[in-house]
Amino acid sequence: MSAATDALSAALAAEHAAIFGCGVIGPRLSGAALTQGQQAEAAHRDRRDRLIVRLTKVGIAAPAALPAYALPFPVTDLGSAQRLAVQLEERTAAIWRVALGPTTGDDRKVALDALTDCALRAARWRRATGEQPGTVPLP
Amino acid sequence: MVFTVPVWMGRARLSRRAALAGVAGAGAAVALGGCWPAKDNPAARPTPHPLTPVVAGTLALIGRCQGTIAAYDDLGTRLQPLLKEHQTHLDALRRAMGTPSSSASATASASAPPSVAPDQAGALAALHAAEQAGQAEAAAACLAAAPDYAALLGSIAACRATHVEVLT
Repeated sequence: MSAATDALSAALAAEHAAIFGCGVIGPRLSGAALTQGQQAEAAHRDRRDRLIVRLTKVGIAAPAALPAYALPFPVTDLGSAQRLAVQLEERTAAIWRVALGPTTGDDRKVALDALTDCALRAARWRRATGEQPGTVPLP
Repeated sequence: MVFTVPVWMGRARLSRRAALAGVAGAGAAVALGGCWPAKDNPAARPTPHPLTPVVAGTLALIGRCQGTIAAYDDLGTRLQPLLKEHQTHLDALRRAMGTPSSSASATASASAPPSVAPDQAGALAALHAAEQAGQAEAAAACLAAAPDYAALLGSIAACRATHVEVLT
């Protein structure tokens, strides 16, 4: 294990949690928000799969998903689902941000792309709730 | 060596005032020298700080936002948050560089203010293009950066990506 693979393992754990969160959010969404949720879940699953391959290739046991994750608040309607969607993207972005320092080359590129995608999705969810422009200075 | 001059001149009947000025000057130089962390000593590091180009790019984006808002009042609500975020980047970059920061004085003094298009759509398109170029610049800087600066530069790149989307 190196600092880089430690950071990638942490990112994988965050992606597992994000996928769980997407499953909680999905049933509360419809229309454009549902499409947004489905795209987010597909993106997090894709990152998870790539991370598992990346870590397994160098002989590191990829952390498995937990059976369930504690939610920061109950998700009961569209509003709370969108709030969770924002938090989930912000937290995942924060973990990828941390991974930028210890990684280099292709790994850092993966981390930067993931951070950017999370920031874009968080901003889209904020705008969906009416927050304008929904951006933050340091995602 | 500048500090030795007044002493040497002292023998040539240097006035008391000039001698004191020399001592005071030496004290000020020492005090200013103390403000710089050893690793940032300009003498020890003749090359520019690696964040300098990103600071310049941030100042250019601040200038463009300010110019566009000044030319088109009704874009203010939409563009002020973006401007504030660029000013936050400037503060964060200057903190990382160990130089004094003040977003209040963060006008685009480093470069001439950009010319703003005579129509609003053109001005927004120019800002969109500038944010896009800024994102690419910050992303490239992040990928090439020392570990200490990678996270900040990555966040700046990601933020600029959200600006591009807001302006699309």
